Amino acid sequence: MSNEVILEVKNLKKYFQAGRPGWFSRKEHFVHAVDDMDLQLKRGEVIALVGESGCGKSTLALTLMGLEEATAGSIFFEGKDITNASPRERKAIRQRIQMVFQDPYESLNPTQTIEEIVSEPLVVHGLAAGTDERKARVVRALEDSGLKPAEDYLSRFPHQLSGGQRQRVVIAGALVLEPHLLLADEPVSMLDVSIRAEIINLLADLRRTRGISVIFITHDLGTVGYFADRIAVMYLGRIVEIGSMREVLKNPQHPYTQALLSVIPVPNPRLRKKHIILQGETPNPIDLPRGCRFHPRCPVAIDVCKQNEPSLLQVTDTHQAACVLLVR
Amino acid sequence: MAIQELELKPTVPSSPLLGFWKIFSRNRMAIVGLFMLAVIVIIAIFADTIAPYDPKSYEGIQSSDIYNAPSAAHWFGTDDAGKDVFSSFMFGARNSLIVGFFAAFISIFIGGTFGIVAGFYGGRVENFLMRFTDLMLVIPDLPLIVIFVALTSPNLLNIIFVIGLLGWTTTARIVRSQTLAVKSRKFVLRARAIGAGNRHIILNHVLPLVMPILVVNAILVISLAILSESTLAFLGLSDPLAISWGQMLNFAFGRGAMSVGAWWALVVPGFGIVWVVLGLTLLGNGLEQVLNPRLEAHHLMPGKPTVQSEAGGGVPSRSGFVKTPIVLDVQNLSIHYVNDGKPPARAVEDVSFRLHEGELMGLVGESGCGKTTLIMALTRLLPSAGQIVGGSVMFNNTELATASEETLSDIRWNGISIIFQGAMNALNPVRTVGDQIAEAIRKHIPIESEAQLQKRVVELLDLVGITAEHKDHYPHQYSGGMRQRAMIAMALSCSPQVVIADEPTTALDVMIQAQILELLDQLRKKLGLAVIFVTHDLGVVAEMCDTVLVMYGGVTAEYADVDTVSNEPRHPYTQDLLKAFPDLSKPEKRLVSIPGYPPKLDDLPAGCRFAPRCPVAFDRCATELPNLHELEAGHIASCHLVEKG
Repeated sequence: MSNEVILEVKNLKKYFQAGRPGWFSRKEHFVHAVDDMDLQLKRGEVIALVGESGCGKSTLALTLMGLEEATAGSIFFEGKDITNASPRERKAIRQRIQMVFQDPYESLNPTQTIEEIVSEPLVVHGLAAGTDERKARVVRALEDSGLKPAEDYLSRFPHQLSGGQRQRVVIAGALVLEPHLLLADEPVSMLDVSIRAEIINLLADLRRTRGISVIFITHDLGTVGYFADRIAVMYLGRIVEIGSMREVLKNPQHPYTQALLSVIPVPNPRLRKKHIILQGETPNPIDLPRGCRFHPRCPVAIDVCKQNEPSLLQVTDTHQAACVLLVR
Repeated sequence: MAIQELELKPTVPSSPLLGFWKIFSRNRMAIVGLFMLAVIVIIAIFADTIAPYDPKSYEGIQSSDIYNAPSAAHWFGTDDAGKDVFSSFMFGARNSLIVGFFAAFISIFIGGTFGIVAGFYGGRVENFLMRFTDLMLVIPDLPLIVIFVALTSPNLLNIIFVIGLLGWTTTARIVRSQTLAVKSRKFVLRARAIGAGNRHIILNHVLPLVMPILVVNAILVISLAILSESTLAFLGLSDPLAISWGQMLNFAFGRGAMSVGAWWALVVPGFGIVWVVLGLTLLGNGLEQVLNPRLEAHHLMPGKPTVQSEAGGGVPSRSGFVKTPIVLDVQNLSIHYVNDGKPPARAVEDVSFRLHEGELMGLVGESGCGKTTLIMALTRLLPSAGQIVGGSVMFNNTELATASEETLSDIRWNGISIIFQGAMNALNPVRTVGDQIAEAIRKHIPIESEAQLQKRVVELLDLVGITAEHKDHYPHQYSGGMRQRAMIAMALSCSPQVVIADEPTTALDVMIQAQILELLDQLRKKLGLAVIFVTHDLGVVAEMCDTVLVMYGGVTAEYADVDTVSNEPRHPYTQDLLKAFPDLSKPEKRLVSIPGYPPKLDDLPAGCRFAPRCPVAFDRCATELPNLHELEAGHIASCHLVEKG
């Protein structure tokens, strides 16, 4: 990991309009999917973005990709403001930021062969014009993704592969452009536990061999420990705790992080521990609660929490959390 | 190692066209349709050489030749001008097909373009195109066609264009809705993320997936175009120089064939029209079935009668944990999928387990290891190809493997209920959740009054932690976790003794998963339920189960209480599964993955099914399937390495 900042997000907001103002009501409602978010990512760094569905983590990824337009704030990539990039600039940026989607069964076109799928990005960007050169890059991307020998896979169709193999094809399709930043949106949540380890190890290797920065989005804190440098926990569109992997896992400060950690299944009945089960689900982000956005579900909330929204406080130099209890 | 590499290599795929033909040729309707169409096309193409007479020439025709009955010289008689009906029929086929095919081509092109553009771009473009389509749809086609053809001169080209230009509306609507469905799929989003433009996405991602529907639709449009042409010709609006079946009908009808009893002059061209339209319809239906696999039989159709074999061996009751009575006793159960012409897929072989009252058993295995087949077989809900080929399923002294359908339908839901995988997304969106639970109760137990039924619904919802106010809400007002709770309420509606939960938390967030697991644990304690919990996640199993059955490739790998499985696993597969599990107390350690993939059930290795991926496999594993070894009371593993002595 170098000290060069590859991605910087400042006060990013993404609101969606929830229904138009009606004939009788003038009030507009907004879904606060990403609400005032700050994030810095260094070259070669892996950050895990953790949160339940509806916390805005996937919207953040789509906004970073330029597939959704930011409502406010700015995104800097490799020193350049890309928040409002023109379509031409955007296309150039997409060579350097790539995304791996959650569902390997849905994100591959069933009528294309693996070769067509993996070479598609090259065709779209007009790279590697010669057939031989293009094929060489496809083969390299497939083999780097663990599909060896690649020749065995080129003429196959997605339905002839297993879930783990498909996810490797998705990753190869992202790698073929040699991106600098990879956004992985729940890349293992649809896979069997036995296959998850392979994909996580693969991503870890890619970071090591190619120096790619990775934003790893997941709802499961259990799978991130293995290769994330830092962990950011999101709740209702905002980061509530962020810090080095070890600090967040060993010494979680925010009650939400503590609850998420407590419910991770442990494969040994002798180590069964007390679960902090939060009742209900992430509330809808249209009418945000006053005060701390977590207080209605917080097991240790006090009166102050209903009044003021806490900002991120330093726990250590490399660890911050947004909870008033930290001050005491 | 050598075995492993061999296994990891995928087999070379056969050409897609060959595969298509293979499925297509199994569809008898489509083959008949294709044959009917082929006959007419050949007749049309070779009309010049095979027709016995030239229908355009009047040479040698006398007045006595008019409306002659079928004879050796004229197989299908003669018409009002004394010409051979059979020859006219052949030439008529040519013009009818030309009009049909070309008009359909125009319709499909316009309809397809409109549908794709409208569906893909949406917004104003869609509004404009689809309202225009609606307008075209409400204008009565036939009068308009008649007026157009009457105003222009009725030659072949004009007729093709008029029919083609008016027949595209249904195609546009069908294609638009298909485009909408394709557009929302993830691979389109992925293509955008790559940086692809609209043109690229339409040509490479939308068109190939719309094509099957377009092809099926084209075939139906051809038959409609042929019918339109015949109608027009029958009304006298046809190219006077080109014989078509409609024109033959028109002449025969208008020139007294009915009054002289010359039925052949009417029946022969009528037969041609029916033949082609029927052939096309059969072909279209057949193609649709081939191209759209969802039309195949549903996998929950009643299965074939089962075969009973002698049951032997089996598992002994475990000491220690349970003293409660056995509710479900499965011994040596084997299930095969029988496919015509292929060797049977041995989906489940020789699986035994005992489930006690109040026991929570985890059924663990990777996708495709036979765990869903196993639970479906318990109440015989297998697809029609699935057969229980041996073993027994005893539920409270009733043998389910051979029981009659009536006995089974009494036990399904009342005795053993199933929470199907993904069922929470299968709630009917237009009916309230309370209503759907009430329906499940009404179907299975007689209810005295409506008030009592509603009371029961509220009770059930309360049991799963949903307050009564949500009873009259619709599924979309429920969150994912609540829908799963509603499915559990539904499974409990007839107070079953055994509940089978097939991956009930797989698509849920960790926190919701924890809530559902807590609920299931409370329920079995409160109601004394026996639960089979199907999952691929050993962590979830360790959190709440009493016993664990680990399946691999259709056989039992290991069966023991949860503490033994977690702390003293003896089967290499169980050991590997545990190593693949993230352990947060050592987050820097690298995860161990199991190389390779599970075997396909129709292509199983000769020896131990885990041998190709096993880190400790030796010679014997490649050739000999290990038996189930009982290591101690209630601990079973199938591995040569644990064999005693």
